[in-house]
Amino acid sequence: MTGDGHRDGTRVVAVEGLARVEGEGSLRVEVRDGRVEEVELRIYEPPRFFEAFLRGRRATEAPDLTARICGICPVAYQMSACAAVEDALGLAPSPGIGDLRRLLYCGEWLQSHALHVHLLHAPDFLGCQDAVELARMEPAAFERGLSLKKLGNRVMETVGGRAVHPVNVKVGGFYRAPSRREVAALAGPLTAALDEALATVAWVAGFDFPDVEADYRFVALRQPGRYPMESGRVASSDGLDTTPAGFAELVVEEHVARSTALHARLDDGRPYLTGPLARYALNVAELPAPAAEAARQAGLGPVCTNPFRSIVVRALEMVVACHEALALVERYEPPDPPSAVVPEGGGTGAGATEAPRGLLFHTYDIDPEGCIAQARIVPPTSQNQIMIESDVRRAVEASLDLGDEELTWRSEQAVRNHDPCISCATHFLDVRVHRT
Amino acid sequence: MQGVVVASVGNELRRDDGAGPAVLAELLDRPVCSSVWCGRLGSPFDLLGLWDGAQLAVVVDAVRAGGTPGEVHVVELVGLGTSHGSDPEVDPGVATGTGAAVLAPASVSSHGTGLVEVLRLARSLGTAPARVMLVGIAGSDFGHGAGLSEPVRRGVGEAAEAVAGLLRAASDASCARDDGP
Repeated sequence: MTGDGHRDGTRVVAVEGLARVEGEGSLRVEVRDGRVEEVELRIYEPPRFFEAFLRGRRATEAPDLTARICGICPVAYQMSACAAVEDALGLAPSPGIGDLRRLLYCGEWLQSHALHVHLLHAPDFLGCQDAVELARMEPAAFERGLSLKKLGNRVMETVGGRAVHPVNVKVGGFYRAPSRREVAALAGPLTAALDEALATVAWVAGFDFPDVEADYRFVALRQPGRYPMESGRVASSDGLDTTPAGFAELVVEEHVARSTALHARLDDGRPYLTGPLARYALNVAELPAPAAEAARQAGLGPVCTNPFRSIVVRALEMVVACHEALALVERYEPPDPPSAVVPEGGGTGAGATEAPRGLLFHTYDIDPEGCIAQARIVPPTSQNQIMIESDVRRAVEASLDLGDEELTWRSEQAVRNHDPCISCATHFLDVRVHRT
Repeated sequence: MQGVVVASVGNELRRDDGAGPAVLAELLDRPVCSSVWCGRLGSPFDLLGLWDGAQLAVVVDAVRAGGTPGEVHVVELVGLGTSHGSDPEVDPGVATGTGAAVLAPASVSSHGTGLVEVLRLARSLGTAPARVMLVGIAGSDFGHGAGLSEPVRRGVGEAAEAVAGLLRAASDASCARDDGP
């Protein structure tokens, strides 16, 4: 639903229920005398329940409990939780376990990106109200997206035991390592999926994109020799290079009255952006060959600062996920044992991994009995909130000549560019754009 | 039976939203489930591909239906109105069932793609099951925390029996078709 008002020269655009985003939130934009005066992304994210809920729980429960934060990116929460607890306990799983975790993450990237590209984002560029219209207009492309998502789920089931809230992940590794045969069965589908992902890049690269450029400070993981997913140091486009623990100390979160989510900045007071554009900018040299060629053909330079073209980068990351998964499948040897032994005791640790939407970091204080005394979980969307609002402001300023309906759509689109995961339990958005 | 899917949706750490998984857990030990696909899903969207061409799909979930918490609603999704207008080919008929119509078109998001929208998508793609039934338990508390509210917990058994009844009926119909005239 939309509403608009024109009073006293102020233009107000209101959208009751942001469509095609994750979760529950609203957007309010006020334009006065031709200037954007106010942009508020109101997140009705539930209060930091999980941070409180984890206190007193055993640290080894963190992966299973935090996975429930998100039904679309549970692996990200599990991986960041494992990384943080293992950092606290001085535990270093074997490279084989690391590879299996990376394979699991490939599955999550594939299913999440396939879903966002086809169900949520592509309709914007094709003038479709929703995915049903897109499915009618572009049935082959839509079926291709469903196929990619389904394969992502299958990878998650094979490694994680279940696509929703995987049950095979534990601190130290896995409860069970899938057999060579189980993993080898993924090779054929992944080979086909690589071609499907490349076709998706070509498809989305042909969309019409608004000519928008933003000055982002990008923050993402860096992993020498590979595109980052499950591990790495935290880097920024202006020279930051630190550990997850070091990064956690730099992030300052403040509560904003209009929202239950916290706004994040680095300690210099400046906001930053995480996610596919950040990963691409900071790791373009690590793209596997098929993805690098696809990026070149798509017209992406070494850095992409047009948030509308994030759909191309997400499609590119599906190519990365398929390529990486195939390489991991082809050299897979079941790690034995499937998990490192978790030592007794406590400590303080931090872990950061790249959720589909961006950097997700956890920090835990664990007491000598192995229970969590303090937890901090910072999702990518809360880190991106300030930049999302900034993008909406920029998009509205560039679109003031549009009628209210189109301006509302452009405002929503500016939010959807970032694939926000506002909350993982409810699903409607309320957008109000007020013009006066 | 062939082509029968039973799927639950829900998050056990959002109180009554865990009703779907609870019903599925109670159902899984019953012999009627041995020949059907039973599992839990992250969202109704995951039904796409899973239920393609099935004779019967049963979705079990907590619902916001008004009325009495814990009340079990059994609804056949025969047809659905949409916010974008009706399409006779995609949205035929009306929802029927023992309970009040509990579904409304929801905005599409990957976390919250509603059953209505998923069924519309499936029909657009020509992959929808022959019949789709929703077994819903009216919830009252969707806040954070583990554990169902007492009324919903009491409704789990009735919901499981409702699903089992649907499966028995489908099995009987399948046997009748196989026997033939």
